[in-house]
Amino acid sequence: MVNLDNLKKEANRILKEEKVKYIIGYKKSSNGLFTVPAFIKNPEEVEKLTWDPTCVYNLTRFLVDEKRKKAKEKEPDERPVGLIVKGCDSRALVVLLQEKFINRDDVYILGVSCEETGVLDEKKLAKTLKGKKVKNIEFGKNDNFVVTTKDGKTEIPAKEILAERCLECNANFPVISDILFGEKVKRKSDNPFESLEKFESLSKEERWTFWKEQLDKCIRCYACRSVCPMCYCDECVADTINFAVIAETTAEEKAQKIKWVEKSPVTSENFVYHLVRAIHLAGRCIDCGECERACPLDIPLRLLNKKLEKEAKELFGYEAGFDADVPSLVSSFKDEDPEDFIR
Amino acid sequence: MKRTGVFVCHCGINIAGTVDVKRVAKELSKHSGVVHSEDYVYMCSDPGQNLIIDAIKEKKLDNVVIACCSPTLHETTFRNTSESAGLNKFQCEIANIREQCSWVHKDMDKATEKAIKITKSAVEKVRRNESLEPISIPVTRRALVIGGGIAGIQSALDLANTGFEVILVEREPSIGGHMIQLSETFPTLDCSQCILTPKMVEVSKHPNIKLMTYSEVQEISGYVGNFIVKILKKPTYVDADKCTLCDECTKVCPVVVSNEFDLGLTGRRAIYIPFPQAIPATYTLDISACPGLLPIACGKCADVCEPGAIDFDMKPKIVEEEVGAIIVASGFDLYEKELMGEYGYGKYPDVLDGLQFERLLSASGPTMGKVLRPSDRKEPKEVVFIQCVGSRDPELHCPYCSKICCMYTAKHAMLYKHHVHDGQAYIFYIDIRSGGKGYEEFVQRAVEEDGVLYLRGKVSKIFEEKGKIKVWGVDTLAGKDIEIDADMVVLAMAMRPSKEAEELAKKLKIALDKDGFLAEAHPKLRPVESVSSGMFLAGAAQAPKDIPEAVAQASGAASKAVAILSQERLSHAPTVAKVNVNLCSGCGMCVLVCPYDALSLKDGKVEVNEVLCEGCGSCSATCLRAAIQVKNLTPLQVNEMIKVSLGG
Repeated sequence: MVNLDNLKKEANRILKEEKVKYIIGYKKSSNGLFTVPAFIKNPEEVEKLTWDPTCVYNLTRFLVDEKRKKAKEKEPDERPVGLIVKGCDSRALVVLLQEKFINRDDVYILGVSCEETGVLDEKKLAKTLKGKKVKNIEFGKNDNFVVTTKDGKTEIPAKEILAERCLECNANFPVISDILFGEKVKRKSDNPFESLEKFESLSKEERWTFWKEQLDKCIRCYACRSVCPMCYCDECVADTINFAVIAETTAEEKAQKIKWVEKSPVTSENFVYHLVRAIHLAGRCIDCGECERACPLDIPLRLLNKKLEKEAKELFGYEAGFDADVPSLVSSFKDEDPEDFIR
Repeated sequence: MKRTGVFVCHCGINIAGTVDVKRVAKELSKHSGVVHSEDYVYMCSDPGQNLIIDAIKEKKLDNVVIACCSPTLHETTFRNTSESAGLNKFQCEIANIREQCSWVHKDMDKATEKAIKITKSAVEKVRRNESLEPISIPVTRRALVIGGGIAGIQSALDLANTGFEVILVEREPSIGGHMIQLSETFPTLDCSQCILTPKMVEVSKHPNIKLMTYSEVQEISGYVGNFIVKILKKPTYVDADKCTLCDECTKVCPVVVSNEFDLGLTGRRAIYIPFPQAIPATYTLDISACPGLLPIACGKCADVCEPGAIDFDMKPKIVEEEVGAIIVASGFDLYEKELMGEYGYGKYPDVLDGLQFERLLSASGPTMGKVLRPSDRKEPKEVVFIQCVGSRDPELHCPYCSKICCMYTAKHAMLYKHHVHDGQAYIFYIDIRSGGKGYEEFVQRAVEEDGVLYLRGKVSKIFEEKGKIKVWGVDTLAGKDIEIDADMVVLAMAMRPSKEAEELAKKLKIALDKDGFLAEAHPKLRPVESVSSGMFLAGAAQAPKDIPEAVAQASGAASKAVAILSQERLSHAPTVAKVNVNLCSGCGMCVLVCPYDALSLKDGKVEVNEVLCEGCGSCSATCLRAAIQVKNLTPLQVNEMIKVSLGG
């Protein structure tokens, strides 16, 4: 089990010794059960830090903002940022390192292991408890969670309230860290592609109807992109409203800007947006599931990314986020790579 | 708005037969920005080109689109035409309405619609083209030839005689390749060594040739006109300058190993000279056979060497050379006989391959030119020759025809009869391929004058029985099974690329074909060029071929190399990758995918080495941020081309 006191002790130490400029972690929310991101700058604030099954956010995303902020500073603080990562978050970090977006020295990694469980799905939880308010929730034994409501403590099987991505997770402990809390134990994993395979068994027509219905819901709020640690491009090719124009941008470069996708949230444009995003995440998505969680319209975006994850694994034996030193999926070529898709 | 001219070619009926070219020209004249549009029967003809020149001048055109055949054929023609009328070459684009339209469609209406779209998309592209100037690069006026067989020797001599310095690298201790192992050569039956050794001597004496035997190419970097080659010179442990060829060392050497020059029919010592006429004429100490370099281990050879030529301290050396062009003549090996278990090779000493039989026939061979069985040194009276062993067998072995076996088997049978007058030669064949000057006559001579018995069919099994080699086959013409009690069997094994070819191709970044031979740039029009510019192919490394063909290709490769070396500077296409540093995140994916090593990361951004870049666009396709693109093929251009193709 992750010992929260030890985590706090280490946080206190690195802040006191001024090893990091601040720590990004989780704290209790003033409103609701689920924790929120915490930015801890002083040792006195360390007490706020918490770790429980409601720590759903992928905090690695904040490194993207941190890098942008730092780039604007005249005399930037060169110390690393302390970052609390779960298994999935750590894999996102590995991809950022692999793509040289961040340096290993920019971050001090406090790894927390989900061990044999994971984090909760807020919607599933509400459904299971039929709207009952939760006072407290803890990791329990035998793959159960201990939930305290006004009716007292009950044990709920993990399967019923755990986020889908955690049920399909194949490495629920940090793959990279400076200090690790908890143990590197794996959840008795279900098939990582269970929901995908169920979907794949549908007919072409059924799949088309499904996706048309789902993507027609999209209002193009870009929450999926904003929450994604891999969506760090200054200019998104799937977006027409945020051209990265800076002082050095030449007139010629401005003239080259194109609208690949129209703004209007209609079927064709929504499909292009989501498919381009999915393709751009091929071999990069580490299935933290944040896009799907953040989506206000409940579009099952993980399903798109899982499909590409499966293809990468089956065709090229590639899994994203495990090794920052290997060439990325789309930039590597091996003689034995299959070519039977070329006709 | 830029003023565009469109020229639609009929190509006789090649295009006009399926595409309504008049309608294409008419439709294009309505396209915005097009101020001139016409059609003509052969745009590439002189009058056709003049139409373009006149229109550019009269209508003050800014750019032109020629709707015709593939750009691989006439892009250069029309770009030069446009340049002569005062336009920048890159203000001319080709719309391919032949290979990609008229030739692949039947419905005239639909093909015409498609041709209109293709041409319109070229118009949208050309009006956004930058005017570019070729990139000028210097030339190192020396050449590297890899492989010292007949092809490599010929290329090296041709280059050297043209006045250019040549480095000839050979893996073995002597040049000569497989040709020096042969007895007599078809169809004239002149002695192989007698015609090859003068060329070998010429190589060794030529002031422009730097010969590096017992050496291997380790690494190649750079680009056409400016390659840097690292060559590993393996130690021979013998100082060739001091060696007097007295042969005392071999007399005392206690080790005997199989002699590769005689393909295992004889033995040699650990210190040896491959054959008497070896170039360079010196001994080599085979370290894999030698009991040890320390005098304590043996050192007998050094003890008897009066001139003190043996140097146990010799070390491998890496030599770096700069060259402008490279000719690859890495040759062939025979198909592994171990893979032909049904023919009993390796099991029965009297089942030989073609090269071994050459050694038996050779006047300098293990039997001094007498045809004797390796097992009991008796004269074989019945010899069965089998063609297409491993060749033309797509299911189990090599799918291709090895080309030379029909001829050399006829020669083998003929020479055998010249040695053993009362013997009988049988040849099992699928069919006889004797295309070539004097070749068919040669085969006829074997049948008529030497009584060689040709049996059309395959051999199913070879096995030993009562001191004879039993050959089970079939004569498909007579429609009956054949059983021959032979004294000797000779297998015409398939030719395959030398074992090192694959590794070499990787180092040189040149392609292999499906059978592992080095791939030429175009099977008909660029048969001696590799796909990498500045690298040429010669000899059996490219495909099975006989001596005259290998020599002809070697001279062709040499003349292609001269075309580069004779220039002061080379020009390189300026349609190369360009980085938008504002968008580049420095992830380095493009650096990894670039097949030409043209990209590198500097201060967190990608840089293009324009001389190395071939404009293939792999980087552009890989970049998630569209931060790298090929000049004159920008995303904007592609977007506009797609738009107009979709009718919008």
